Amino acid sequence: MAKWGMVIDLEKCTGCQACSTACAMENNRLPGESWQDVLFYHEGKYPNVKMSWLPRPCMHCENPSCVTVCPTKATYKTADGVVLVDWNKCIGCKYCMIACPYGVRFYSDDKAIIEPDLRKVFAGDGKRSWNPPYRMADASEDATRGIGIQPRGVVSKCTFCYHKISKAPKGVADLDEDNPQTKEHTPSCVRVCAPKARYFGDLDNPDSRVNQLIADKGGVRLKEETGNKPQVYYLSGGGSPVVPGARSSGKA
Amino acid sequence: MTIHDIRTSRRRFLQATGLAGAAATDVLGLGAGLKALAPADAKAQAPAAAAGTKITKSICHQCPARCGIDVYTSNGRVHAIHGSTDHPISNGKLCPKGPLGSYILYDPDRFKQPMKRTNPKKGRNEDPKFVPISWNEALDTVAVRLNGLREKGESHRFALCYGRGWGASCAGLLGTFGSLYGSPNAPIGHSSMCSDSSIFSKKSTDGNGSYNAYDYRNANYLLMFGCGFLEAFRPYNNNMQVWGYIRGEKTPKTRVTAVDVHVNTTLSAADRGLLIKPGTDGALALAIAHVILSEGLWERSFVGDFKDGTNKFRAGQAVNADDFSEKWVKGLVEWWNIELKDRTPKWAAGITTIPERDILATAREFGSTRPAIALFERGAHAHSNGIYNGMAIHSLNALVGSLFAKGGLMYQMGPVYGPLPVTADDYMDDWAKGGAWKNQPRIDLKGHADGYLMANNMLQEVGPNSKAGKPYKLDTIMFYLTNPVWTAPNGQVWEEALKELFVIETSPFPSETAVFADIILPDHTYLERMQDAPTYPFQGYPMMQLRMPAIKPLYDTKYFGDTMIELGKRMKGRMGEYYKALKDTDNVIRHLAKAFEKNPGDNGVNSFETWAEKGVWYKKPYLWQQRNGEFFEWDGKAYAKPMSAEDVGKKLLPTPSGKFEFRSGYLEKNADWIASKTGRSKAKLMFPHWEEPKNPGGGDLYLVTPKTAMHAEGRSGNLPVAIAHMQPTMGGRDTVYVEVNPLTAKAKGITNGAKVKIKSSVGVIEVYARLFEGVRPDTLVLPMEHGHWAHGRWAKGRGPGHSGDVTVNQSDRITGQCLYYTTKVSIERA
Amino acid sequence: MTTSSMSIARPNTVLVIAAIGLVVTLGMAGMNLMAQGHAAFNTNSVGISWGLPIVTYDYFLLTSTGLTLVASLPLVFELKSFQPVAKRCVWLAIAGLVGGVSSLALELGSPIKAISIIWTFQTGSPLFWKVLFVLAHFVLLVVLFARMRGGGPVRGIAAAQFVAALGIALIAGAVYGMMAMRPFWFGGDVPVAFLIESFLGGLAFIIFFSYLAHGFNAQAMPADLRGLFGGALGATFAVVIALHAAFVGARVVTGLWSNAEGLEVWGYISSRPLFHVEIWLGIALPLVLMGSRGTRQNPTMQIAAAVLVMISLLISRYDFIIGGQMVPLFKGSWAPSLLAYVPSTTEWLVFLAAIFLANVVNAYGEWKFDLDGR
Repeated sequence: MAKWGMVIDLEKCTGCQACSTACAMENNRLPGESWQDVLFYHEGKYPNVKMSWLPRPCMHCENPSCVTVCPTKATYKTADGVVLVDWNKCIGCKYCMIACPYGVRFYSDDKAIIEPDLRKVFAGDGKRSWNPPYRMADASEDATRGIGIQPRGVVSKCTFCYHKISKAPKGVADLDEDNPQTKEHTPSCVRVCAPKARYFGDLDNPDSRVNQLIADKGGVRLKEETGNKPQVYYLSGGGSPVVPGARSSGKA
Repeated sequence: MTIHDIRTSRRRFLQATGLAGAAATDVLGLGAGLKALAPADAKAQAPAAAAGTKITKSICHQCPARCGIDVYTSNGRVHAIHGSTDHPISNGKLCPKGPLGSYILYDPDRFKQPMKRTNPKKGRNEDPKFVPISWNEALDTVAVRLNGLREKGESHRFALCYGRGWGASCAGLLGTFGSLYGSPNAPIGHSSMCSDSSIFSKKSTDGNGSYNAYDYRNANYLLMFGCGFLEAFRPYNNNMQVWGYIRGEKTPKTRVTAVDVHVNTTLSAADRGLLIKPGTDGALALAIAHVILSEGLWERSFVGDFKDGTNKFRAGQAVNADDFSEKWVKGLVEWWNIELKDRTPKWAAGITTIPERDILATAREFGSTRPAIALFERGAHAHSNGIYNGMAIHSLNALVGSLFAKGGLMYQMGPVYGPLPVTADDYMDDWAKGGAWKNQPRIDLKGHADGYLMANNMLQEVGPNSKAGKPYKLDTIMFYLTNPVWTAPNGQVWEEALKELFVIETSPFPSETAVFADIILPDHTYLERMQDAPTYPFQGYPMMQLRMPAIKPLYDTKYFGDTMIELGKRMKGRMGEYYKALKDTDNVIRHLAKAFEKNPGDNGVNSFETWAEKGVWYKKPYLWQQRNGEFFEWDGKAYAKPMSAEDVGKKLLPTPSGKFEFRSGYLEKNADWIASKTGRSKAKLMFPHWEEPKNPGGGDLYLVTPKTAMHAEGRSGNLPVAIAHMQPTMGGRDTVYVEVNPLTAKAKGITNGAKVKIKSSVGVIEVYARLFEGVRPDTLVLPMEHGHWAHGRWAKGRGPGHSGDVTVNQSDRITGQCLYYTTKVSIERA
Repeated sequence: MTTSSMSIARPNTVLVIAAIGLVVTLGMAGMNLMAQGHAAFNTNSVGISWGLPIVTYDYFLLTSTGLTLVASLPLVFELKSFQPVAKRCVWLAIAGLVGGVSSLALELGSPIKAISIIWTFQTGSPLFWKVLFVLAHFVLLVVLFARMRGGGPVRGIAAAQFVAALGIALIAGAVYGMMAMRPFWFGGDVPVAFLIESFLGGLAFIIFFSYLAHGFNAQAMPADLRGLFGGALGATFAVVIALHAAFVGARVVTGLWSNAEGLEVWGYISSRPLFHVEIWLGIALPLVLMGSRGTRQNPTMQIAAAVLVMISLLISRYDFIIGGQMVPLFKGSWAPSLLAYVPSTTEWLVFLAAIFLANVVNAYGEWKFDLDGR
């Protein structure tokens, strides 16, 4: 089975947020339900200001702290390495949101951040908390995997576009939008990225490009000190300034 | 910018390559649900999306770049948009606006059918009290009005303003309509409210009145003046693809210096970011030119050299023109003598506030790295000295030999369309040919000595001029893809103007124009349209694209091109006959496509059907290249056919001298008029030179109002997902903030997040402030977003106030450019 | 000893007031929740997901376990001088538990599905253990109370109850203490701090509610109960306040001293006036009042100390739970460096409803079951 992972090249990323809007489109996300988000930071004093940005999907950690804490086992990790939420089991206790170091989870009953509330404009139908005319294809929805529009009172998050990647040909090393065979199976955030700053592939396959990029360009994981060991790696220009955690790199 | 105005004379005749004549396919997929790209080579093609999903070709609508898109429809719903893989601009990718299309299609506030106003009062807060009417009634109402005007001999009092015209089947119909009808004001394009000044800077120097096409991929140095290259510079999607390549893959890595008034993603991602005083980019460019010459860095094969080979350009010292032998430029030494010799980096540092060492370093890098491109648009030229800033910047390209070079910049070849089924000339009646309307000036005084003699358009003046009755008052005005009552600076004047006119709005959305409209003739949204669009300036080779409807129209709307044709049919006399013969836009588009039969595209498109299937016709490469100071034409296999100087002058450098003119013959020709109307010196006005910008408004801080990456040209105002991502640098999620330097804020008692008032001589708005170290202390940056007082439930009333309300309507007298960034305002706690 | 007839009137008044209050607050909260769902709360996904309703739940739950621990003193450890409070402690523990769980039920997204927790055996999750133990705790409380009324053997049940209560307090602490990604909460000391707070709350609550049951008239109380408050229980109260003060001091000082990311919250918390109410009025003053023999014997001082401690524990619980969520995790420019949170009207209503519900249950018990009995 694959162990799906992602590489994000911060040198190429232009901070445009196409990944965020493509995800919102693909997965019918409400404003603020940023399964994929681009985070902006800046520091320094005029005129020497450093601005930086970070695309942030779910990390689909190897040791996900969100999975352990879920009292109903609604959140789980698939055999191919993807962390998903089963909305039929989720009771909305939000402990997983508390336990996630990366802030990637969203509760469906938040106040709307943009008024009027889309959930009132396109009212839900009981199964879904809202029901817009641009809803994803019926065949793609899967509440047991947290794909589609969720009901009220549950937690949702990035699924690595599981409805797409789960249909990829078996044994393929990378899901690349430029390859006609895998284009439709590539996560939307990866597919849309104009500077091609995002890559998606099998971390267990020695031939995959994601592994090669991590090795050649010093891919790092965020917040090593948590021990979660994300499956999303960041390239920052060859440096590798972050010290790998001993646990994550297998030294402890 | 009117795409269809670009020369269509360039034609190519290639051997028909007989690529797999793909059988005509059910491109609308209205039959059985399954539809995939009809593969030319089945093995190379992907398995289509899931069964039951239909993919249609279209072009994104959210900016002029015209990225090809694949529109996914399943279960009768349009639910996803991805970039088309085989499209040269999108290459399977999109910018953040591309995915917004389904939200636009299903916007709950759209007009569902034609409407008629029943409230005679007009105003920002007046409910039009629209009632639905049939298309027949709507079109008849307008036709009666237009016929009436014509009969009274006042056809000039009908104006038709358009913004984002796409191609021959919409905006392309308007010129004929105006000629047949008899109005100089149909159509009036928006280019003066766009980036006309850069067009004039190019026209004045290299003779091409157009935006450039660029070969960024092969450039080794990019010098950007006020370009939001990673935020809004078109074609944005492709620029980002190029960025990923030149900065992440290419060897050697392309180096970038970016100049702007605040730190943004472009400056952050560049190798060097320079913060410049607004309106002084020309000074920086002049200093860079000075260094290039004084340090001997210019490209001798293109520019020429001193006859004895020694560099006589020394700061402060004039040069004898006879000592220099010019190759493809004219007026270099004169320019040096009259302007450049004193424009040292030290001088420029004083003007721009950029440190001298940075100006020197930038100049040396730009001058010694080939190929190098200097690029700019409004950031540098939306100021009173804009045309000269632009000429100075563009001159840098000439100095380093980038014109028409690999890794340099060139111009876009126009569309190669088939002729329409009818010729307008055959249908001109006497009034059209020689009626009194021909003696009337255009309402915006374009082309008039008392107005804007040289400008292409002066859309921003239409409202104010009609209100003032100078040159006259209009009677009826129609709008297509433009909303100047909101987008024009000091739009409050437009509101007064529209109160007096019969207003026709064609937008699908309840825009600010609609609030003042008498009749609504709602267009389809783009995913419902069949519509052609020749490419925006891209990489030079010709490209024509097609939107195919992804879904049957949701409501009783009509494609604008067909609205115009139906209106035309109702015109009395010969004009009506023309439109009856033209039939409809479907007929028009199929005729356009006939050109492909003898001239198939690189991807095999050779008919309307294949055009619809692939979404785009294109033919590479760009036909000309300059190499080491010699020009070559494409001979089918290589750039090997040498061009004569005459040929170069005719096709590539159509200036009076056939060369790049530092001493602009075009400006010199109009010197008397320019001098008398603008007070400029006749000795200098034809050279790129430094001028202090004139800043109206009465305040102490510059107000600059850029677009963000989410700004879908006014169409993002009512999209919650777009609103929620609008200004990520400052966390602008349901509003946008004005960037204020903390020193400035402290002096004015403004804290982070405080509500402030921004005031100028024309108005005042309320905004929330963000203290940001990355903005100059003398400048406020407020993205031009929100502040709508119409346009739908999410747009209406969303703060901040509209930046246009405090922007003084100042235009450049030569180019007509609306000077958005030149107002000076004051700021205080609200 | 039987209940004096003078105390019959009080529970009825409390019962009536609490019942009315419950109907009003629950009704209003219910209406808001029906109309807006949990958007009626001010919690959101930017970072503060657990708000006042969770604070309420934890506060009531730990008070319930604390009362159980107090009841264990006579029932398990055979400290007979504490016998007078045993029955009331158990019933009050039931009341507190009911109030707390009601708050949780209104907070959860889909509470009905929560029954599945029992058979998931997600042993790695502190919440799984908490639910299991709380369920056991409730069942055991009911059985224990029935036995105490009926006169059956109680020691075994009480011992199991003691383990359950101990377990809950430690596990409730572990819910937070195990979160390595939140330095404000992380640590093995947190379960112990929760245990101390729980025991402290139990002592404070039993003092207060015993006096309430007798109309705040010490003379109306049975003599041994009165003596207990001035004697062993009062002294125990003082000692536990001191222990609690030590834990609070350790956390505050360590937090304020440290540079580590995430601990900047301490600077914010300690700058608020309520923090000083918690520390000085809510810990130091009660410590003095219950520490010196003179004031310890004084019923008014006892009640004052109890009330101040009850309030202090609420502030502390609130600051703890909210504080650990105030530093946003990976929100970039979308969030300020410290998130702001104030409970919404509906959240306050839920809090009040829990108080009223608990008091309805307790007042009913005071009325119907002789809680002074042995």
